Amino acid sequence: MRIRGASGSIAALGMAALLAACSSGAGGGDSAATTPAAESGPVTLQFWCWGSGQKDKVAAFNKAHPDIQVQHTDVGGGTDTAAKLLTAGRAGNGPDAACLEYESLPAMIVAGALADISAHTGPIKDAFSPDVWTLTSFDGAVYGVPQDLGPMVFVYNRKRFDELKIEVPVTWQDFADVAAQVRKKDPEAYLATFAPAEFGNFAGLAQQAGASWWKVQGTTWSVGIADAPSLEVAGFWQGLIDKDLIKAQPLLTPEWNNQLNKGKILSWPSALWAPGVLYGIAEKQAGDWAIAPLPQWTAGDARVAFQGGSALAVTKNSKHVQAAATFAAWMNTDKTANDLQIAAGEYPASLAGQRATSTSEPPKLVGGQKDYWQVAAKAAQNTIPHISWGPNVGTASSAYQDAVAAAVRDKTPLADALKKTQQVVVDDMKATGFQVAGS
Amino acid sequence: MTAPAGARRGSRAPYLFVAPAVVLFVAFLAVPIGYAVYLSVRGLRLTGTGIFGTRQEVFVGLDNYARTLTDPEFWAGFGRLALYGLISVPLTLGLALLFALLLDYAGSRGRRFSRTAIFLPYAIPGVTASLLWGFMYLPSTSPFSFLTRELGLGEIPFLGAGGIYPSLANVAIWGGVGFNMIIIYTSLRGIPAELSDAARIDGASEWRIAWHVKIPLVAPALVLTGLFALIGTLQVYGEPTTLKPMTTEISQTWVPLMLIYRNAFLRDDLPLASAASVVLAAGTLAVSVVLLKLTQRRALGGMR
Repeated sequence: MRIRGASGSIAALGMAALLAACSSGAGGGDSAATTPAAESGPVTLQFWCWGSGQKDKVAAFNKAHPDIQVQHTDVGGGTDTAAKLLTAGRAGNGPDAACLEYESLPAMIVAGALADISAHTGPIKDAFSPDVWTLTSFDGAVYGVPQDLGPMVFVYNRKRFDELKIEVPVTWQDFADVAAQVRKKDPEAYLATFAPAEFGNFAGLAQQAGASWWKVQGTTWSVGIADAPSLEVAGFWQGLIDKDLIKAQPLLTPEWNNQLNKGKILSWPSALWAPGVLYGIAEKQAGDWAIAPLPQWTAGDARVAFQGGSALAVTKNSKHVQAAATFAAWMNTDKTANDLQIAAGEYPASLAGQRATSTSEPPKLVGGQKDYWQVAAKAAQNTIPHISWGPNVGTASSAYQDAVAAAVRDKTPLADALKKTQQVVVDDMKATGFQVAGS
Repeated sequence: MTAPAGARRGSRAPYLFVAPAVVLFVAFLAVPIGYAVYLSVRGLRLTGTGIFGTRQEVFVGLDNYARTLTDPEFWAGFGRLALYGLISVPLTLGLALLFALLLDYAGSRGRRFSRTAIFLPYAIPGVTASLLWGFMYLPSTSPFSFLTRELGLGEIPFLGAGGIYPSLANVAIWGGVGFNMIIIYTSLRGIPAELSDAARIDGASEWRIAWHVKIPLVAPALVLTGLFALIGTLQVYGEPTTLKPMTTEISQTWVPLMLIYRNAFLRDDLPLASAASVVLAAGTLAVSVVLLKLTQRRALGGMR
């Protein structure tokens, strides 16, 4: 009897599970059916984003919008979020809105993961400069609202620079000279790191030198990952690595963090979000660091590329595109949102947000630098307009990381690694069915 | 309850009893495998217009298999696995057997404590273990490199070209010895005491008893642990993935499963990844069957 009793209750459990499955399925169908009609009652949106300021921004949005409630989840950094969004989108259970790095937008569009929100963005278009707006609009469609920008800057440990009595480099030639001085004055220290995994960083440096990694004319693509300027930049870093003037090793590992904390890594040529990242691993150095314009190939130039930066996109499987678009617009144009974003150390994409930085405190790591936001604004004003990323940036990034890591490990030329990356990217595009020029 | 009634019930009971297992097998093994095989003959190809177009899933036949089987990185991954397995499998099994025999030796002291201490690393999740060892490998956080540096011998290149295989194998050995030891030890405890006693009366030393009596009798347990270790080696993923950010030695395609992950999620090519998964699964099955066949006689011989 006891056994039969137990099996009976197991059967009952099974029935309950089945019933639950059925009812949740029916619920899903209902909400799908009501999509085209006007939404009534509060709408709940799922939102994926990384970054320290997001939680506060979402809370402020929810407070200001009783009819739209947003649930925020941090699913990992830019690369992780992009990978998860693709997978979840295919499975039909993606979020309504998500942050995406600008470079991963084309891949998302090709995968059919994003909704065109141009019908809802008319009123906010003018809140952004035309150059910034082109980061998220393609062929008349708008695939997201720009959120933060990552113009490249030279982030350096000013205290250590002063101790060693070295100057902030203005050109890349200066950078090489300073790197040699650092090695002479403190044999354990390096001016900077060359990290094989930093695809976006190298792409930015190559773009500053005039490279154009992807271009499209009509429907024909051309890929320039191994074009002349890129190879020149690779040659420059090759020289520094060969002479042991900079350290070729991965970034943000316990090893690197330790060296940074000991003051043995003096700078990180990267972007405006870097002080926030470094503060997370070297809190004790708050106030020691500063930013300066990124070194130039020709003295007097001021142009820099973007590295990173993100937009807030609405996904195609969202059942509340209008509400999500409202959310995306508010998060990046409302004054409260911009202020919270600046407090978290991000450089806003919107013009009003950028103006608001002039009266804001600098991030903690660079707390001693009075002209922080002025230097930041100058970098943002001199960014290379309209950088075009390709439809398979993920493939390019992973191919680049493997090829460059192998080159650093086996001491083979970085130029060959770029050529190999180029080949992988072109082959992948052709296999997918893109027309690629010169092949 | 009368006998005929019981017999009538018995005719339905076996199906009822196997039903949960069958349902679970179909839902969580057969269907996913079938879906993976289905995905492996599909491909994402460009359709539609516009500058980007959209990728749609279409039937591509055996294209993904051809690409997988001609990918040198896929095979290089197996090469690296072989080298890794050559270090980790014999050491794991050898140490597990040694510890089991020592625990089984009547003269050993502190047996309960030793057994727990050796088994404990198995309870540490693989990712945690990898991070833990990773910190002990990195030059500026490694206690070992600190010692050698103080002694003027320089740093130990744990994560360098020569050290990466032993370093990774060490994580697996550290975590795996305890589990395998328990299996072998349990098998040793099942050996009737008379056998060892008889050998001892005949004047055999403890070494000879271990070599000629105990080890042949635990051969089935050794085959089982060997098979687990082999399959475990083919499925290595967590340790190298966790250590990857710390060194340039480990590429994104270092082992076959890492290549599969990269294709599926970084390159967004789930069909290609499915094809490689099917190849890996079929290969694992084939190797397991061959190994079982080869060792069956030896394993059964031990019981005779």
